[in-house]
Amino acid sequence: MSGGDIITLQHVSKAYRTSAGVRCVLDDVSVGFPAGKRIGILGLNGAGKSTLVRLLGDAEAPDTGRIRRFGRISWPLGYSGGFQATLTARENARFVARIYGEDPDYIEAFTAEFSELGGYFDVPLRNYSAGMRSRFAFSVSLACNFECYLVDEALETGDARYKEKFRRAFAERSSDASVILVSHNEGMIRRNCDMAAILHEGRLVMHDNIKDAMRAYQLMQTRPRAAA
Amino acid sequence: MIDRTFQRTPARRHRCAGTDLAGVSSAFATQCRVIRALMLRETQSRYGEHKLGFLWALLEPLLMVSLFVAFFALMHGDSVSGMPIVPFMITGIVPFNLFKETLNQMQTAVTANRSLLGFPQVTTFDVIVARGLLDVAVVLCVFLIMLMLARVFGVEWRCEDPLGALMVCGLLVMHGMGLGFIFASLSPVVPSMRQFGTLLFGRPMFLGSGLFFTAESLPTAVRDWLLFNPLLHLMELMRDRFFHEFATSHGSWSYAVTSAVVVFASGLLIHQAMQKRAVVGL
Repeated sequence: MSGGDIITLQHVSKAYRTSAGVRCVLDDVSVGFPAGKRIGILGLNGAGKSTLVRLLGDAEAPDTGRIRRFGRISWPLGYSGGFQATLTARENARFVARIYGEDPDYIEAFTAEFSELGGYFDVPLRNYSAGMRSRFAFSVSLACNFECYLVDEALETGDARYKEKFRRAFAERSSDASVILVSHNEGMIRRNCDMAAILHEGRLVMHDNIKDAMRAYQLMQTRPRAAA
Repeated sequence: MIDRTFQRTPARRHRCAGTDLAGVSSAFATQCRVIRALMLRETQSRYGEHKLGFLWALLEPLLMVSLFVAFFALMHGDSVSGMPIVPFMITGIVPFNLFKETLNQMQTAVTANRSLLGFPQVTTFDVIVARGLLDVAVVLCVFLIMLMLARVFGVEWRCEDPLGALMVCGLLVMHGMGLGFIFASLSPVVPSMRQFGTLLFGRPMFLGSGLFFTAESLPTAVRDWLLFNPLLHLMELMRDRFFHEFATSHGSWSYAVTSAVVVFASGLLIHQAMQKRAVVGL
């Protein structure tokens, strides 16, 4: 076991039974995610990116193999997941604080301050736009001070100023916190990550620098069968 | 069950990995924390949104009891088999909700809380149990309040054996929770499960569990069939324990307890078996 990993996968397999037959998302994958890095995971639509995030975040168990985590991992951050739409942001923030055993008052105050939702903080989430929703989700997760943030597609929502605020917040913490960002968008990965892995047909290949990863990804898109 | 100990800080986690006992107790602490948070959240979303809030939970059984009391008082006078009509109806209709409401709320727990299952500590077990416990607490409160209200309005009653009555409540809860677990675990896979449940356990159980009659008052042929229903036994036992004036010759503790244990255990087993599949399609 290398010392500097935040998450390691050991011979992990995961398959789904769907009406179209068995879909294999991970096939005997062993890989380590280094701590303190911003790691992108690229994959085409339907490659199983969201499933991978749920596996990493412990929302689902792998069929076989073992996933070890060496720190506090966030829940998968994205547009929809994790919140009760009938409740207000304040109530949702307190809920998250309670299940993570944090101080609800602190989490609530931090989230209110950082999300800049103002009066909307006491409005049920169902009335939020997608941008406001993810602003809220990121603020709560930053309040919880995780050692690894799992992000599913949604990093770049909201207006430019706010995007910048988040990028700075994550960059500030990147000395002690990792980010795992999952996307099908090369541009997003290139802007936000130090290194990237490619998920394709049940295999997850880690590339140490972005350039290699991008080349492999482009190759894969032009010749989907041959590469990865 | 998902390994909850991963949520701790690294130092703590390694300690947990070393000794199993510490791991189990920390996982248990997390589970209690999660269920408490879910219950609070459930309370907020159910009773916090409306001005009347909790009053609604009281209003429905209150209306039901008044209706049945009025109806039966007109037809049969003011007592049933020697039991005064108002406490008779309260001890039938309200405890029945320990079964019905618990089942109703639990069976939609997984489908309604799907978004919360993305949090690693929150399992299907937690969301189902949280709903069940909240409902049991609410119905028990309503039960007590209704009995107090009856006293305030001058209806005389005295509970003969409160512990026995509580025991019956417990067995009703076990039936409701057991079936709740079964329906909650199957409904993500079989969408028509809910209608099926309402068809099977809604009206028939309401009419056939002795909420407003005693087993003794039934014709023998009907009674023999209805006594397969464990809830009828429980209602009989409830009145037997509650009223000094009434002793049941049909309600059987051993039948009711056996049925409660079997239903509850099969609920947990089916939930365990379905756990992996219930999350699919998150």
